[in-house]
Amino acid sequence: MEISRLLVSHRLNEEVGRRMSVAMAKLNPSLAQQIDGLLSIARGKNARVVEDFFDDVPDGPLKETALAIISAWYLGVITDAPDAEVFAYEYALMYQPTRDVMTIPSYAISGPNGWTDQAPPLSDMPEF
Amino acid sequence: MVRDFSADVVVVGTGVVGCLIAQQSLDAGLSVLMLEAGPRVDRWRIVENFRNLPPSLRLFHWNAPYPPKPWAPHLETRTTKEQEQYLQLEGPNARAYLQGYVRYAGGATWHWAGICWRITPEDMRLKSLYGVGRDWPFNHDTIEPYYTRAEYAIGISGPSDPTLQWPTNGKRSRPYPMGPIPFGPGEHRFTEAAARIRMINLPAPQARNSGVAYDGRPACCGNNNCFPVCPIAAKYDAATALPKIEAKGGKILANAVVYRVETGEKNSIEAVHYFDPDRRSHRVTARLFVIACNGIETPKLLLLSKDERNPNGVANSSDQVGRNMMDQPKLTAELELREPLWTGVGPVQSSSILNTTQGEFRSRHAGAMFRMENFARSPLGAAAALKKGLVGKALDAEIRRLSACTARLTVEHEILPSANNRLTLSGQKDWLGINKPSIYYDVGDYVRQSAREYTVPRLQQLAAELGATKFQLSPQFLNSDHIMGGCIMGTEPATAVVDPDCRAHDHPNLFLPGGGAMPSATASNSTLTMTALALKAADAMTNQLRHG
Repeated sequence: MEISRLLVSHRLNEEVGRRMSVAMAKLNPSLAQQIDGLLSIARGKNARVVEDFFDDVPDGPLKETALAIISAWYLGVITDAPDAEVFAYEYALMYQPTRDVMTIPSYAISGPNGWTDQAPPLSDMPEF
Repeated sequence: MVRDFSADVVVVGTGVVGCLIAQQSLDAGLSVLMLEAGPRVDRWRIVENFRNLPPSLRLFHWNAPYPPKPWAPHLETRTTKEQEQYLQLEGPNARAYLQGYVRYAGGATWHWAGICWRITPEDMRLKSLYGVGRDWPFNHDTIEPYYTRAEYAIGISGPSDPTLQWPTNGKRSRPYPMGPIPFGPGEHRFTEAAARIRMINLPAPQARNSGVAYDGRPACCGNNNCFPVCPIAAKYDAATALPKIEAKGGKILANAVVYRVETGEKNSIEAVHYFDPDRRSHRVTARLFVIACNGIETPKLLLLSKDERNPNGVANSSDQVGRNMMDQPKLTAELELREPLWTGVGPVQSSSILNTTQGEFRSRHAGAMFRMENFARSPLGAAAALKKGLVGKALDAEIRRLSACTARLTVEHEILPSANNRLTLSGQKDWLGINKPSIYYDVGDYVRQSAREYTVPRLQQLAAELGATKFQLSPQFLNSDHIMGGCIMGTEPATAVVDPDCRAHDHPNLFLPGGGAMPSATASNSTLTMTALALKAADAMTNQLRHG
């Protein structure tokens, strides 16, 4: 979870993280080494958030793995293919940046006709 | 001779048409047996299926939460290879007949949008007014009371303000049972933009409970998941009718695939034969039969049933069974916008522009319905932002921007009936050994001309009015899942399969109600019209059975 928390500065579900890392390691035998590589870059920059160290991640397998970890947290799958194992739907981060307006389909947060035609500014960002 | 019938009325198909007829027949004191090719399922199972799909299957693959049983195949679209398995499609616009219906008890209303427009008086007189297509064999005043009964039977919410109603020149004998569903921010902005270029976006009458419970089902709470499934049944689907049918003594046999309609002396229908999942055949008799398994499965079954008396298929002395296949050929435009539109608030569809369906131009090219799609665009925005390799705050901001500042616009055209748009029996057989349906489809010059000179330019104007910075039109016509025409209605047995009550001209105890009977496709969603035709057929059937 350490690398996840550095790459994604949001509330992360540990159970989801554990399951995804097991599945990712099966697909990518070098995962553990790559995570160590990313962590050492991050520590070298005293990074607390991804912007502190991401520019220093070299193109190639390290960057691909970093982006794959971020993508998995946002999409809730490791690869978006027909038989993919789904690790998260309601907690997939992709729904969070618009959570103040857009419903997560099948998870209504409203009541009968409980919505309006007004929307908050685009510049708002929900906290998550 | 003592005849031991399985029921007074046998209904093949448990979609909205079959279920309404079953309910009307039971209320008239008749016994009813329903045969459904596919399984009964619980709503929670479909919701779980949906939530466990990967993101790329949660949108646009509306059949994905409904894996078909081997004995009742329907379209699957997870891969191109899978897509080619069941429907054998040919012709220049084969892609536009990739119909996504569901062979489950409850039928395609499981995943319909719930939009319930009435057709206009002009829609019913294309031949007389514009010299194209066919006229309906009755006028709007005749179907109006059936529209009203349909609206109350399935629970439609719509505006009481006549300036917001459609048709603009139609008389309504009763108000909508429930008031309109409120717009979200996207529909509000879209309505204002469209009005500036004389496209009037009206709140859609829809089969969604608005503000109140109706008929034992709760009010819509904005799950924004109407397709593929309403988690709470606030949207009408025929699956909710099944327990009511059983409570009144109706019998429903699931996993019963009817493969043959048997005729007898005087060419009356004697029985239907069905396979169970063990491939055993069973024979079921009745005084009267209703085949309502949708606009593809019904003509397919009639063609499969050819015999010595009916060498071209049951009910097919006109040679029109399976011909005149129609739908609304659809084009979509993906837009990127300068300012947010915001979808994902309320139902996935809640309004449409219909004034573009009417006019003198219909003698030259098709009218069409326009709308914005209101499904939540968050997964699309996220996928696009992630592809850009963004991270951190920049990723979140771009997800929000691409979710809010993009849109899909849809236009659905009116196609004319053509004898060449035809369903036949393919040489390929399914798991039970039944021929798969083969369909040839060409949208025709009437539609292509409309796209060239009318609808695509109007889409571009609409996009400009919305402040679009990018506009991407779908490269080909697509399906709208409104299957019509294959058992076309008319007064003349030589040119029509069914009469004005959807009774087969060739067989007085066979009814074929549904989209297949519609003589004109119009540019709007067909379900309410099918439902009205179902109720009209039900009246005719019950009168016929009561009075011998």
